[in-house]
Amino acid sequence: MIISICSKKEGMDSLVDERFGRSENFTIIDLDTGDFKTVENTGKNEASGAGGNAVKLLASHKVDVAIVPHLGPKAEIAMEGFEIKTVSQGDYKTVGELLEAYKAGKLEVITKKKGLTRV
Amino acid sequence: MKIAILSGKGGTGKTTVTSNFAINIENSIAIDSDVEEPNLHLFLGGQKTDTESVFTSYPTIDKDLCTNCGKCGDFCNYNAIIPAKNQVIVFKESCHDCGGCKLVCPTGAITYEKREIGKIIKDKTSFGGDLFYGILDIGEMSGVKIINNLTEISNSYSSNKTVFIDSPPGTSCSTVAAVEEVDYAIIVSEPTPFGVSDMKMVVDMLQEMKIPFGIIINKAGLGDNEIYEYCKDKKVEILGEIPFDKEIAKLYADGKIFSSSLPKYQKLFKDIYKKIVDRRRAL
Repeated sequence: MIISICSKKEGMDSLVDERFGRSENFTIIDLDTGDFKTVENTGKNEASGAGGNAVKLLASHKVDVAIVPHLGPKAEIAMEGFEIKTVSQGDYKTVGELLEAYKAGKLEVITKKKGLTRV
Repeated sequence: MKIAILSGKGGTGKTTVTSNFAINIENSIAIDSDVEEPNLHLFLGGQKTDTESVFTSYPTIDKDLCTNCGKCGDFCNYNAIIPAKNQVIVFKESCHDCGGCKLVCPTGAITYEKREIGKIIKDKTSFGGDLFYGILDIGEMSGVKIINNLTEISNSYSSNKTVFIDSPPGTSCSTVAAVEEVDYAIIVSEPTPFGVSDMKMVVDMLQEMKIPFGIIINKAGLGDNEIYEYCKDKKVEILGEIPFDKEIAKLYADGKIFSSSLPKYQKLFKDIYKKIVDRRRAL
């Protein structure tokens, strides 16, 4: 299973980013092998739709579960469209701490609350 | 002839200047392109004679034809269309109606539907000429489409009337759309550091767009000398000055057009208009 974490820099000691669509980077971790990589969020400076763009990026890296801060309504819809589950990152500060908390089952799964109209 | 009235900073007097031109220059019409917060009709408006809805389009996907190839999503600059797993998500609020996704779709799965984003209202004004103004609906991202429709209206009048266009403040997409096809632009600025700083951005924008322009200093007597030094240094023409006068402020607060109550100012606007006609002729 592959998960993603919003991160300011690279590696397990990096701080977690508090924004999703405009997160600096995403740390993508394969829980089965323990491998991880840092992917730059290339769409972080988009004028609009950064959230949807970031979801596309995660989907291209085959992410199954995204650990996220507050999600905008468009990102929420896009996550559902790509069948990526979302989990709230809470107040954890570093990527390493957040990863351990996820593994220990301490994070809250986000259930869909709102959304824009969909065509 | 089409003359845009614009400013860097808000509240410098664009609407005041536009309304005074409209009542003093014969055979003119007025257009309010500040569709996010139009207010020219508060001064000039008389009777609403016509209302027209403005629409934008957004893509819809025929699921039977879509192969989920992803080309539409790669093309869209605004992430308004996102091909996901077994479905294509469309954020119609984000769509800029460029028509590109339909062009790149190899199977013809994309068609467009319309939705309303605002209105254009036509008024018969107190001075006799027509007034057109746009209103963008709350929550919409861009008023450019409404402004472009207003430009078409002003083009249809400009061969035999003088069109005064009250523009949005600043140098955003909306401002560029409002001034794109004008013959001359007037920047209204107040002589304060804040006013001058924002005015410089408008000067840069107009120079890049190759639109001839001059400046009206409003609330002259306030602030400092920077605006005069800047205009001298950059060879920017000061067309005229409206003094910082309590009488004017009072009339404005009452929703009145000040030169109609203070006739001594009528000449100011007529003289500035003459100057603009001369400058256009000299080009």
